[in-house]
Parts: sequence; structure tokens; C-alpha cells
Amino acid sequence: MTEMSEKQYYVPHTAKWPIVACLGLFITVIGASLKFNSLDLEPTTPWVMYLGFAILIVMFFGWFGEVIKESEDNLYNKQVDGSFRAGMIWFIFSEVMFFASFFGALFYARTFAVPWLGGEGTNLATNVQLWPGYEAVWPTNGPADVNGRFETISAFSLPLVNTLLLLTSSITITIAHHALRANDRKKTIIWMIATVLLGATFLFYQVEEYIEAYQHLNLTLKSGIYGSTFFMLTGFHGLHVTLGTIMLIVITVRLMKGHFKAHDHFGFEAVAWYWHFVDVVWLGLFIFVYVL
Amino acid sequence: MKYFIVIVFLFILYSMGSALFYLSRDKGQSSNTVRFLTVRVVLSVVLFMFIILAMKMGWIVPHGLQVVATG
Repeated sequence: MTEMSEKQYYVPHTAKWPIVACLGLFITVIGASLKFNSLDLEPTTPWVMYLGFAILIVMFFGWFGEVIKESEDNLYNKQVDGSFRAGMIWFIFSEVMFFASFFGALFYARTFAVPWLGGEGTNLATNVQLWPGYEAVWPTNGPADVNGRFETISAFSLPLVNTLLLLTSSITITIAHHALRANDRKKTIIWMIATVLLGATFLFYQVEEYIEAYQHLNLTLKSGIYGSTFFMLTGFHGLHVTLGTIMLIVITVRLMKGHFKAHDHFGFEAVAWYWHFVDVVWLGLFIFVYVL
Repeated sequence: MKYFIVIVFLFILYSMGSALFYLSRDKGQSSNTVRFLTVRVVLSVVLFMFIILAMKMGWIVPHGLQVVATG
């Protein structure tokens, strides 16, 4: 029972951030639905969404800043530490489900829906009646040829470079992780900076790839089932790399300020795990979207 | 070849899961998390090199090279 009564479980009594988060989310979703439903409310429509995003960003910096301060002030006991770890598990569970749904859409379309339209199995009548002459191959924008002819990004070009960049960043963060556990702060910071730079370079090339797809290959979000799955998967992954890079920068600054110890560094370890997760998702994308 | 790639990928997912498990259970008091993360990095590098080799040798053909859009 000593562990339980180590100190009281810290509860901040004047927390304003949850209500700010609600407000930010509410305005973001209202703004996004106005924008994507193309309601003719220009010029207000995109700005409502941007205002929501701005509130969310302020909320994240404010809230997480307070959490970091409370942690450094030793207000958290082992129970609170356990709560953070449980929170991490649930957060990752939601992330896994999120990406599983988009990978699932890709697998379903490739393995079932597209072959059915091509008349596979007992679906010959579907093919003959609805889409005569449609041959089920992948990549495809579907039998209706939505958005016209397009070309795909070759796995040998930018995706290969990007895979190499993210894999290298995973190696550098692992070196930093080992260094932190060995209490070598300087080495940890150097390898964290390398990881941040690699992550930023990945994002740069990802933008290049999208420009190439839109301007030269006619591969857009509107290119039927291939375009939708391609941009939803790589786009949301890119968003995760962006957030991951911001998280890495925050952790690096905290390391410079002297935060984290060799055996007490949940913030670091959670972000490191998240970065590995983002890299594994990319590896999955590289294999299932670009290669196979 | 496809199955080999998928199986190694599943091993990578397994080591990620183990790292997360120890992140939660050992609460920073053991090196299990970093150890499993290192395993997953090594596996990923091996898998990546294998994919490059397989594409070079023609064991697998990336669908991007076929450049087809049907209508």
C-alpha cells in the first residue's frame, strides 16, 4: 500500500484546457463540414476551419506545456505515471484502428470489389450487365474511368528515397534511445536532431511527390478508387509524420533543458515508440501501396 | 515472395506490440522496450533490403511499373 499512498493523485482544479479543446474541435468540424459540402459562404468557409485549427494548436501547446511543468514540479506519482501509460495504449489502439480502416478499404477494393466488377467468381452478370469490357487490373480508377487516365508513382523513385529516409530516422532515434538509457545526454540530443532533420526531409519529398502526381501524372484524390486510397493513406501518414516531427522537436528541446532521466523518461519513450509506429505504417504503405 | 514479405512484416508488428506492452508494464525500469524497438528496426532494414533485391532480381514486379489505367 506504500505505493498507493506515496502522494495524492494530482488533479488540477483550475483546468481550462478541456473546454478550450471542445471549442476548438467544435469549430474545426463545423468549418470543415461547411467547406467540404461546398456551401456558398465564401469567404468565411475556409476561415472557420482555420480558426478551429488555430484554437487546437494553442490548446495543445498550452495544455501539454502545463503537463510538462507539472511533471517537472514532481506533482505526478506512480499512479499518474500509470495513467499516462494506459492513455498511450488507448491512443495507439485508436491509431491502429484508424490506419486499419484505410488499409482495409485498400485490401477490400483490390481483393474483392474490383475483381467482382471485372466478373470474377459468380459475378459474370455484373460485369456483362453493368460494365461490359471492363478488365479488373490494379491500379484502376474503376470501370467508369473516373477523372480520366492517370499514371502511378513508381516505387523506385521518390517512395524508395522516402523509405530510406524514414528507416534511417528510426535507426537514429534508436541510437538516441540507447544513449538516453546510458545517461549520455549530449549523444541523445545529437541523434534526436538528426532524426528531426530526416523527418523534415521526408516531408519535403512527400510534398514533391504530390506535386508530381497532380501536375504530371493526373493522379489526384479524384482518380477513382486508386486515387482515394492512395491519397487517404499517404496523406494521413504524412500528417502523422508532421505531428511526429513536432513531437520530436519538443522532446529534443526538453532534453536540452535537462528533462528526462535514464530510468524516468516516459515522454521520450512514448514519442520514440510513436515514431517507430509511423515508420512501420510507411513500410506497410511502401509494400502494399507502391510495391505489391 | 509476397508471403515472405508479409510474414517478416508481421514479425515487425509483433516486436512493435511487445515494445508497447513493456512500455506500459515495466514503466521505464527495464530495457525491454528499447530492445524490442531495436529488433523491429533491424527487421525493417533487412526487409527493405530484401525488397530492393527482389525487385532487382525480378522476383516481384512493382505494380507502378506496369502503368495501366483502365477505362
